[in-house]
Amino acid sequence: MSKPADLIQGTLDLLILKTLALGPNHGWAIGKRIQQMSGEVLQVTQGSLYPALHRLEQQGWVASEWSTTEAGREVKSYALTKAGRKQLARELESWERLSAAIGLIVREA
Amino acid sequence: MPRWIDVLRRRVIALVRGRDLDRDLDRELRSHINQQIDEGLAAGLAPDEARLAAVRAFGPVSAIEEACRDTRRVTPVHNIIRDVRYAGRTLLRHPVLLFMAASSIGLGVGANLTIFSLANELLLSPPTAFEAERLVYIRTGNGSHVSYPGWRGLDESRALAGIAGYSVEEGVNWRGTDVSVTIVPLVVTANFFDVVGVPMALGRGFTAQEAAAGRDPRLVVLSDRFWRRQLGSDPSAVGRPLAFNGDRYTVIGVLAAGVRSLPGYGLAPDVYLPISRRLAPKLDDARTPAVQLIGRLHDGQGVDAGRAALSTVVQRIAEGSGDQEFRTMTVFSPVGGVSQVKEFQAVGAFFLVLLVVTGLVLAIACANVAGLLLARGTTRRRELALRVALGASRSRLVQQLLTEGFVLALAGTLAGLALTGAVALVMPRLSLPLPIPLDVRLAFDHRLVGVAFGLVLLSTMLCSLMPALNVTRPAVASALKQEEPRYVHRRLTLRGLLVTGQVAVTALLLVVTVVFLRNLTMTRSLDPGFDTEQIVVAQLTFVEGRQGPLDAPTVERIVERVRALPGVASAAFAEGVPLTLFSGSRVGTAIQLDGADAPVHVEYDANRVGPGYFSAMGIPRLRGRDFEASDRAGAPPVAIVNQEFAERYFPGRDPLGLRLQWEERAGSPSAEIVGVVANSKYRTLGEGREAAIYTPYLQQRDVERMVHVLAGTAVPPGALAAGVRDVILQTDDSVAVAVQPMSSALAFAFLPSRIGAVLFGIMGLLGTLLAMVGLYGVMSFGVARRTTEIGIRMALGASSRAVLAMVLKETAALVGAGLAMGLGLAALLAQPLAAFVVADLSPGDPLHFAVTALLIVFVSLAASWSPARRAIRIEPAAALRND
Repeated sequence: MSKPADLIQGTLDLLILKTLALGPNHGWAIGKRIQQMSGEVLQVTQGSLYPALHRLEQQGWVASEWSTTEAGREVKSYALTKAGRKQLARELESWERLSAAIGLIVREA
Repeated sequence: MPRWIDVLRRRVIALVRGRDLDRDLDRELRSHINQQIDEGLAAGLAPDEARLAAVRAFGPVSAIEEACRDTRRVTPVHNIIRDVRYAGRTLLRHPVLLFMAASSIGLGVGANLTIFSLANELLLSPPTAFEAERLVYIRTGNGSHVSYPGWRGLDESRALAGIAGYSVEEGVNWRGTDVSVTIVPLVVTANFFDVVGVPMALGRGFTAQEAAAGRDPRLVVLSDRFWRRQLGSDPSAVGRPLAFNGDRYTVIGVLAAGVRSLPGYGLAPDVYLPISRRLAPKLDDARTPAVQLIGRLHDGQGVDAGRAALSTVVQRIAEGSGDQEFRTMTVFSPVGGVSQVKEFQAVGAFFLVLLVVTGLVLAIACANVAGLLLARGTTRRRELALRVALGASRSRLVQQLLTEGFVLALAGTLAGLALTGAVALVMPRLSLPLPIPLDVRLAFDHRLVGVAFGLVLLSTMLCSLMPALNVTRPAVASALKQEEPRYVHRRLTLRGLLVTGQVAVTALLLVVTVVFLRNLTMTRSLDPGFDTEQIVVAQLTFVEGRQGPLDAPTVERIVERVRALPGVASAAFAEGVPLTLFSGSRVGTAIQLDGADAPVHVEYDANRVGPGYFSAMGIPRLRGRDFEASDRAGAPPVAIVNQEFAERYFPGRDPLGLRLQWEERAGSPSAEIVGVVANSKYRTLGEGREAAIYTPYLQQRDVERMVHVLAGTAVPPGALAAGVRDVILQTDDSVAVAVQPMSSALAFAFLPSRIGAVLFGIMGLLGTLLAMVGLYGVMSFGVARRTTEIGIRMALGASSRAVLAMVLKETAALVGAGLAMGLGLAALLAQPLAAFVVADLSPGDPLHFAVTALLIVFVSLAASWSPARRAIRIEPAAALRND
C-alpha cells in the first residue's frame, strides 16, 4: 500500500463535507469514498477521519444518527446540515482561490 | 435552529452526558472495524485474519478516541473537575495537613470577614427604608442641623419628593410601672415615615397629617428593642398609652426587628416621637438648629438633578431670610455605599488600619500553608516527576497543585465564614458600657459573599502558586532518581524568602500589638486628676419645667438631703461629669482677659458646678475659695480656673481677683476669678493638659433638664447607690435617675482604648501565633532537610559546635533580614498609629521595637535549635543513608 499523500491542512473538512453533499453516509464509507474518488491517491486514516467528523458535528455543520445498512450493520451516519451546506460553499470558494493561487506560482516557476 | 444555539447545546450535552457520548463513540468505532472485517471476509480472508487485519488497519483506538473527545472542547472543564476530585482525595488522605491549613486560613479569613462585615454594616450599608437608593443626606451651611422653619421651607418647595428632619435627642423620661428611665428618642418631623418608609412589625408610622407639630401630636413609634425589653413584646402594644416626660403618648406602631436607623453607627433610638413645641420649645425660632435632613428624590429624578433643584431653593431661602445657615448646600449625597463613608471619616480610618492588620494576619496564615505545601511538594517530587514522564505538561501540574490550594482555601474560608457567623451570633448579646442604645448586627449580604470569594482566590494564589511553580521546576531525571540537591545548600531559596517575609510581617504586627497593649495599660494607669473610687454619680433628667426656679432648683434640695445620708462625706451637683458622654462642653471663644489689650481667643473645657464640687470630686483646690451657696443669680459673677488656664493665659501673675469678660456677653458684668484648682482630664483620658473654666451652676441663665449629683463617700459607693436614688425620687418622682459608682460611669472613657486593645490584641496574638507555628515548621523542616549534608560535614570532621553555629548563622541571616524589613515598615506606620493612642505614648518608642525583636529572635532560635540538635546527634553513617 502506498503511503497516503499528506492532506493539506484543513482540506479534510472540505473533502468530508463534499462527500456528504452527495448524501448521508457513515464513517467507514466516507473514508472509502474519498479513497475511491481520489483514484486511490488520498487515504484518510481513522485517526484523522473520526476527530474531523466529530469536530464538524460539534460545530454544527453535520448531524448524525444511528441507522442500519443493507448488510444489517448498525452504523452512525452523518448528514450535512443547512449550515453545513453554506460552510461547504464557503470552503469550496476558498479552496478554488487557494488552488488557483498555488497553480499560478507552480506554473510560473 | 441558529447554529450557535446548536453548538452551545452540543457543548452542554458533552459536559453533562460525556459518558453517553463516550459509549456512542466506542460503538461507532467498533462498527467501523466490523465493516472492515466484513470487507476482509468478502475478499476471502479467514475470520481470524480478517479481524487482525481490520484492527491493524484501524490504528491506536484509544488515541483516536482521545482525539475525538478533544473535539468536544470540554476537556479543560473535565480536567478541573478531575483535579478537584483528585485534590479532595489527596487531602483527605492527609487529614493533618488539611486541618492545619484549613484552620490557619480559617482564622485569617474569619478575622477579615468579621472586620469587613462590621465595616460593611456600620459604614457601607444604607439605613433600612423603602427604596433607600432614592434617599439623600442633605446639609446646608456649616452645621449638621437646620431650624424647623428652615426644614419646612425646603420640604414645601417640592424640589424633591419629600424632605424629612430627624434629631437624636438627649433623652426623655419614660415612666414605667415602677421605674423611671431615660431613653433616647429620635425626634422626627411629622412627614418622617411618609418620606423614609420604615418597615413596621406592628401598626404603622404616623402620617404627616396626624402628627403635624401644630396639633401637639402625642403619638409614638417604638423600636423593636424598646418593645421587647420594656414592654415584654406586648402583642397588643398598639394603642397602649405611655408616659414620656409626664405626658401621655399613644403607641401607633412598632418598628420591624433589625432596622438600621438613619443616624448610622448602629445607633438604635428607643422611640420615634413627632417633633412638637412640647419637646422643642424653641421650635419656631429660625435660628435654633432643630433637625438633620434626609430627602427622597422624585421617582426617576437623578442625584444631580435633585441637587440642582434643591440648591436653587436653598439660595432662594437664603436671599429671602438672610439666614446664615442657608448660604449654601454643602452635602447632597445618596445614603449607603462609598459616598456614605465620606460622612464617617474617622471611623473609616480606624477600620482601614484594622483591615490592613487583618490582611496581614491572613498573609501570615497563607505563608504558613505555603510552607506546608512546599515541604510536602519536596517529598512529592517523585510523584510529580513520574507524571511529567507520563506526558503531563507543567501547566497541567501547576493547575492541579493550584486546585489543591483552592480546595484548602475553600475549606478554610468556609471555616472562616462559620467563625464570622459565630461572632455575629454573639455580638448582639454583648452589652457595651454605653449610655446610648446600639444595635449592631453583622449582615450576610452580597458584599460579604463577594469578599469571601475574593479571599478564596487570593489565599489560593498566596498559599499555592509559589510552591506549585517551585516543585514543578523541570528537573525530571534527577527527581526520578530522588536526587534532591542534597549536598548543595543554595543560599537564596524560596523557603528563605518565605521565612524572611513571614518574619517581616510578624514583626510589623507585633509592634502594632505591643503599642495597643501598652496603650491599654497606660490608659488604666493614667491619673484622671479626680477620685474614681469613692464617688457615686447620679444622672438626673427632669421633666420639662420640673427643675424648679433658677434661684432655688430642685437639685439643690436633693443635694442637701443626699449630704445628710449616712456614709456620705460630701455632695455636690454639676452639669457635667468629666470623662463621661456628658462631660460639659469644649468652648472656643473670645475673652477679654484682665490686663490684655484686646479679646483673646481662648479654648477651654467648661463645666457649671455647684458648691462643694471640688471636694466631692477630690480635685485639690490650689488657691482661693470654692463656690458657695451665695454665688447665684444676682450676686457678682465669679469663676474658678484650673492651673493650666492660669499658667497659659496669666503667665507669671496671680490669677486671683483677675477678671474675665466674655465678648459675647459684653455689657454684662465680668466674672472675677476666685479660685484655682488642679488640672484634671475632661473629655478623654488620652488628652494632654487642657485649660478649664468652672462657673457656678446657679449663675447661669437657664437650667438644663439634665444634671448630675456627685456624692463622695466613706463607704463603698455601691452600698450608697440605693439610698441616693431613694432620696432623689422622694423629692421628685418624675425624674429619671441612673445611679452608679464613678468607676463604672467611667467605663465609657476606657472604651475606645479597650476596643482598640482587644481588637488589635486578638489580631496581633493570632497573627503572631500563626507566624510562630509557621516559622517553626519551615525552619525545622529546612534544617531537617539538611540532615545528610550535616552528616557529611560531621563525617569529614566538623565539630558539632561548628555545625550548630553554621545552622544558627544562616537562621540569623534570614530572620535578621525579615526583622529589618518588618521593623522598618513598622517605623513608617508609627505616625498614623499615634492618632489612636494616648498622647503620652509614642508608637515609635524603641521599646516596642526591642520587645518585638526579642520575641522573634527567641522563637526562631527555638525553632532551629531543636532540629539542629537532632541533626548533629545522628550518626554520620545513618545520616548518609537517610533519604
